[in-house]
Amino acid sequence: MKPLLLRLEPVIWLLFGAGIMLGTILLPGYLLTMGLGVPLGVLPAEALSYERLHGMLSHPIGGLVFRLVALALIALPLWKAAHHLRSLSVDFDGHDRDGLVGGVLYLIALAGSVLGILAVIRL
Amino acid sequence: MSDVQKKKFVVTRFDPDKDEVPKTQEYTIPVRPDWKVLDALNYIKDEVDGTISHRWSCRMAVCGSCGMLVNGEPKLTCSTPLDEYGDEVHVAPLSNFPVIRDLVVDLEGFLDKFKSVKPWIVRAKEKAVEEGPCRQTPEELHAFKQFSMCINCMLCYAACPVVANVPEFLGPAAIALGHRYNLDSRDEGAAERNEVFRGEGTVYECSYANECSEVCPKNVDPAAAINQAKLLAVLDWMKSFVTPRRGGE
Repeated sequence: MKPLLLRLEPVIWLLFGAGIMLGTILLPGYLLTMGLGVPLGVLPAEALSYERLHGMLSHPIGGLVFRLVALALIALPLWKAAHHLRSLSVDFDGHDRDGLVGGVLYLIALAGSVLGILAVIRL
Repeated sequence: MSDVQKKKFVVTRFDPDKDEVPKTQEYTIPVRPDWKVLDALNYIKDEVDGTISHRWSCRMAVCGSCGMLVNGEPKLTCSTPLDEYGDEVHVAPLSNFPVIRDLVVDLEGFLDKFKSVKPWIVRAKEKAVEEGPCRQTPEELHAFKQFSMCINCMLCYAACPVVANVPEFLGPAAIALGHRYNLDSRDEGAAERNEVFRGEGTVYECSYANECSEVCPKNVDPAAAINQAKLLAVLDWMKSFVTPRRGGE
């Protein structure tokens, strides 16, 4: 597994790097809006209602862009989490099991990404 | 002379012929207020215990020989003032390196990593002397100058948690130096170095703890170099799908 991971490292790192960007910059804003802004009544609830968002994602021109953004928000943080957990495993003396741990974590991220793709297509 | 300040130095000792594991030895010596940690070690060596082994040379933070752990932190002992510490100072060899004796560590593996990134200007075809010098604009010089200030003191290797766990990791200084040549407008060896960066000991092992840049006595910022190198290695890898491989003709 380790040699395969080594070969795939550029792709994994790119997804992880993008996930970091989203996770540290965009996701907090997203959580602030959805998790605090709306429940606390700072933002009008109907601004982010299901119908409105579904309308955005189904827009004939902008819909594709919104769907890609939604996919990025679903998939990329999974790669960030997988890579961080793998690093954590290595830090806890997990060098020998790195291939297996990395393989499993990235497979989970991959499965989540595939589900994300299916979700945004079927919306 | 009663007001002379004294400090206790707890020095790690290791003699490969006698010791199974390193042990510590204590020396209480008079110190002067303007001394660096290295001055105290030299005093111990000259006046108290000639058997102690440590490396040093220039005493002005240029040669990079005197890196040690001072109270657990990687420091250049020649530029670390003693008055930053209390009455007890612990001196140990750099971590993450095999110890040859006392405070002297083995550089072999480190030098192999250094050589692997080809830290020199690689040209596809050597420029003839008659063609004149390779000129650079101030901007082109600025692009890599910071990363060329490394003095190979290895403090960053002692501080790096990845070096501790992944022995084959190229490490901060080697990657920063390879990246320095990749950024040099006169160099044409980026593709070769990027292959090393993506190979065994890959640059992607770096988990961006940033400890290397924290301890660097020359403010080289190896962490920035590693993360720039990661991106360039990814772009180079992508490019390899659309352009013919180097030397493929």
